[in-house]
Amino acid sequence: MNTGQRSARQIALKAGWPAKGPVCFSCQHQISRRTYAIAAAAAVETQTQANLSHILPVTSTSSQQAYQVRAGVVLSRPPLLTRDLHPFEKAFYLYQRRLNERLALPFTRYFYFKKGTPTDVEWKRKVKARLTPARDIGVYNAYGDEGWNDEVLVGAKEAETEWQVESLLKDAEAPITGIPGQESENGAGAPNGVEFDGEQTPGVSSEKGKVEAVERLMPRVTTADRKGDMKSLDRLLQRSLYLLVKNKEGRWTFPDDRLMGKENLHQAAERVLVQAGGLNMNTWVVGNAPIGYYSFDFPTRRPGLQKNAEELGEKVFFMKARIMAGQANLTENKLGLSDFKWLAKEEIQSAVTPRYWNAVRNMLAER
Amino acid sequence: MALRELRFKAGSALWRDLRPSIYPARPFFTRDASTNALQDLESSSFTVPPPSEDIVKSYDPVARSKSRKNELPPSRYQYRSPKYYRGPLHPHQPPPPSDPSSRLFTPGPFSLPRLEQTYQSTIAPDLLTLTYTHFPPGYRAPPKAQRLRSWEGDSPYFKNRPLRGPRGGDNLRLLTPPKTFRNIPKITGVTLHSMVPDAVDDSAHLHVAGMVMQAISNVRATTHKARRSVQQWGLREGKYVSVTASMKGEDTFHFLGKLIDVVLPRIKEWKGVKGTSGDSSGNITFGLPRDAVALFPEVEVNYDMYPPKMIPGCHITIHSSATNDRDARLLLQSIGIPFYGKVVN
Repeated sequence: MNTGQRSARQIALKAGWPAKGPVCFSCQHQISRRTYAIAAAAAVETQTQANLSHILPVTSTSSQQAYQVRAGVVLSRPPLLTRDLHPFEKAFYLYQRRLNERLALPFTRYFYFKKGTPTDVEWKRKVKARLTPARDIGVYNAYGDEGWNDEVLVGAKEAETEWQVESLLKDAEAPITGIPGQESENGAGAPNGVEFDGEQTPGVSSEKGKVEAVERLMPRVTTADRKGDMKSLDRLLQRSLYLLVKNKEGRWTFPDDRLMGKENLHQAAERVLVQAGGLNMNTWVVGNAPIGYYSFDFPTRRPGLQKNAEELGEKVFFMKARIMAGQANLTENKLGLSDFKWLAKEEIQSAVTPRYWNAVRNMLAER
Repeated sequence: MALRELRFKAGSALWRDLRPSIYPARPFFTRDASTNALQDLESSSFTVPPPSEDIVKSYDPVARSKSRKNELPPSRYQYRSPKYYRGPLHPHQPPPPSDPSSRLFTPGPFSLPRLEQTYQSTIAPDLLTLTYTHFPPGYRAPPKAQRLRSWEGDSPYFKNRPLRGPRGGDNLRLLTPPKTFRNIPKITGVTLHSMVPDAVDDSAHLHVAGMVMQAISNVRATTHKARRSVQQWGLREGKYVSVTASMKGEDTFHFLGKLIDVVLPRIKEWKGVKGTSGDSSGNITFGLPRDAVALFPEVEVNYDMYPPKMIPGCHITIHSSATNDRDARLLLQSIGIPFYGKVVN
């Protein structure tokens, strides 16, 4: 699709610019700029120029007061893991699974296990123990007289995700020696559904038949979490992490720098990322539009870059960026940064000033 | 339901009797609505502290029911929803479909799929940032031309005629409103479709196709007849030749998760989905060969139980709430489906 037709300038021209109400400087500048594409529509152009004639030219002889425009980067690492469920959610999902077990047609056993094969014997042993084809709903007979007792009691281990994962993995452990008689005896003696113990080391070979160990899941809490390492990207795997840096004034902010020359916000964001965190980061700046801004008035006016220019304050426009790989390295940064941290949303609140927090809080994801 | 009705009737009877006397009985020192409004709210079971430890440990519903000397009357625990809906005025109304005693009740959801969580936490905000269009303050959208054409000409019969459809076809295409946080495209469903022409001669092909579709999609498959005979394809009218399974909600995300993380990476020399695919209203279709269908974990785990060479290929339609193919493609790319070739919007 032709992006030229849907740009703000084109839209504004079609709508009959200038519109009523306040217009920011960059919008005005962008709209009043002549391009060859617009020159084709000469009639429209002349009319627009006439309409814009009351807008002051960009350069003026008297001393100019303006805000310093800066580009900030909200560099984030998205959550890598699913979130922990609320106890109510856990109980609800288990209850729904048991209801499903009550309402579903019986398991088509012979489609999955041929009669008389070792897998069939193994299947019979498992079902005898847990009374249901489902592997992760505990010992529950949906078709029996006590099928009505399907609700989970308070503190039941069956509702815990860890227990469910463990029982699924335990089910996947197939005995290597497939001697039917031995296996069924063993199974009747120690039904895995009933006598489950969470701390039991998995994959331990039992006395009679050896059990093939199934690889266990990695822990959801990492060493960085336990040590409280704020610089690691492996911390808080369920949350979005944001890069915060300590700037020259000793404040924690998102990395930012003023716009140089004719670069736009997207280019500036890419430059800031390289100048702040080094080249060892695989990043992606999402989109061309900022997701938030922060404005700050200087206590006293400062001289600007050009002569006769005064700066009233600074306006930081935040661009969204994602980190795919790598890690920040501040040793060769050109922005005068001294430290960095990867923080989740609520940790940012305590690290930054209240004013800054109010400006940035709504552009950070809850999770 | 008897209880339900009893409660309803008793309530209405009480109400009828009490109504005249309730107004004069209002206390003099009534509070304002604004003061302590929280206390007036219905108390939630979440705010009530849980029962004590010993009550929790000693509570055994099975033992309790067994210790009961006399059986409870069936009306206390057995309820059957009416088989037929007899209209809104009938005293015996069926319970809502969300009630487990309803005949229409379907259990679920059973989990919170990973892909859905990723969409909520990562993909949707990124899509909004990517597709955002900035309108300067004070901007008003230009008036759009009428989408249906009027009849131009001198003929007197044109007067009061209904408007003509757009050029190139009679159906109006979907409008794309400006992107906001409310209309970020999302995946609404997936339809699997498998056409099995061999089923005309041997219905076993259709049965196997149905089992495969059910296994990989977790929903009941429906069969379809051929609408007309085509000599060259060996189709005969009225014969069952195809199977579909349409997923919604949780099943969709589980299916797409398996497809993207397990199946697609294992297909040899798969280029991706063709860029020209799509129905120009946000639904994108691609096909999988029969070897790829066999790669689904549900099929792979008991591959031997399917008759040899009967596992069919299938078409996968991913339905999204996007109003054009460009947005739908962006959504699918963000969840990990690659596209190749010329792109058509």
